[in-house]
Amino acid sequence: MKYVFANKRITGILSILPPNEVKFEDEIDNYNFSRKQSLKLSKIMGFGTRRIADEDTTISDLCIYGLRYLFENNLLKKDSIDALILVTQTPDHFLPPTSNIISGKLKLSEEVLCLDINQGCAGYEIGLLQAYLLLDQPNVNKVVLLNADVLSRKVSKNDRNSRPLVGDGASVTIIEQDKSAKELNVYVKMNGESAFAIQVPAGGFRLPSSPLTSVLEKDNSGNERSLDNLVMKGDAVFNFVQNKIPEMIDYIFKDLAISDEDIDYYLFHQPNKFMLEKLAEKMKIAFDKMPNNIVGKYGNGSGITVPLNICENLNLKLKKKSLNVILGGFGVGLTWSMIVCQLTDLKFCKIINYQKL
Amino acid sequence: MKTLELKLKEILEVDEIDNSDILEDFDEWDSLTILTIIATVDSEYGIQIDSNDLDKATTIGELYSLIESKLK
Repeated sequence: MKYVFANKRITGILSILPPNEVKFEDEIDNYNFSRKQSLKLSKIMGFGTRRIADEDTTISDLCIYGLRYLFENNLLKKDSIDALILVTQTPDHFLPPTSNIISGKLKLSEEVLCLDINQGCAGYEIGLLQAYLLLDQPNVNKVVLLNADVLSRKVSKNDRNSRPLVGDGASVTIIEQDKSAKELNVYVKMNGESAFAIQVPAGGFRLPSSPLTSVLEKDNSGNERSLDNLVMKGDAVFNFVQNKIPEMIDYIFKDLAISDEDIDYYLFHQPNKFMLEKLAEKMKIAFDKMPNNIVGKYGNGSGITVPLNICENLNLKLKKKSLNVILGGFGVGLTWSMIVCQLTDLKFCKIINYQKL
Repeated sequence: MKTLELKLKEILEVDEIDNSDILEDFDEWDSLTILTIIATVDSEYGIQIDSNDLDKATTIGELYSLIESKLK
């Protein structure tokens, strides 16, 4: 489905990362792969370092830290917030919603709508869509979108399929009314038939966690994981991305009568370096228009890779000029989504390290 | 299939390959190699194979047949 919006835009982005840095090389011995194989894997996939949250740090900790930082530095006024949208796959609890916990701890007004959304790698675009929908209401002027995950805790130490790429973190994005903002186009597709291509089998009500679901079992490739762990059909996801993303981009170019020349940057979710390079090659997009340095430096933190990408790579450029971009997410659901928009005049665009309070 | 043969030799890190060679016998045959082959077949021929398809192929010759059958 295509959604069209006017008079609203992103006005600030803050990324919050846990300070602990894990190196791929330090974990090689956990994997059922020779050293040579592992080094080849890390070269092709672009594994380097990733940020991992402590066992006792949850997403509400990361989000509250980020929001307090914005309040204290006069970058966001507490009483200007009309809605708090939190996109996550790793809530603090099944209930209450984590956004309500955050609102309560920060003593936000009772007028603030709190909304948790369960989405992963397309979570930035789905969260923005929800923010835009709310901003179409005359009483809503400012929406805070939180993307946060600590998914590393759900990945088996002995799973070289997922472990070396998953990182943790959070981002805060402010979206608000602006009469001078350019038109926005949001495209979203979902395929529930492939929902289990990326999943955590146990821990919900269909299959509660138990001593049995925590038993590690070896798969055909020698990776060990339990039913409590994240499991991903890597090849199916790869084919899905190579198939659906170019198709959606082609459609968007035709639909909006634009071409690659009209786009300054493709700010796509970064599953790993390999996948994004193959995608750029297939779509004949120059590598420098599709920044691909997040996974190797911070890890793949699901919905935060796109805002993190903007903070890491475009902060300085955005101070000088506006950029026409396509934000893109693809993954869990399976969901794929693109937002064609202009990034301009951000009040803040930076990365901070989380510190335990 | 000439380009594919060259690519396969590169991926499997060998100088020669024969249709009767058993895939699993190559030193380089692992999950990463499988993904690289999936990606190569996609970029060279625009067709998509998955690891289930690859599981059915035992030899280099059968891998070629698999790709040819998808090309039709």
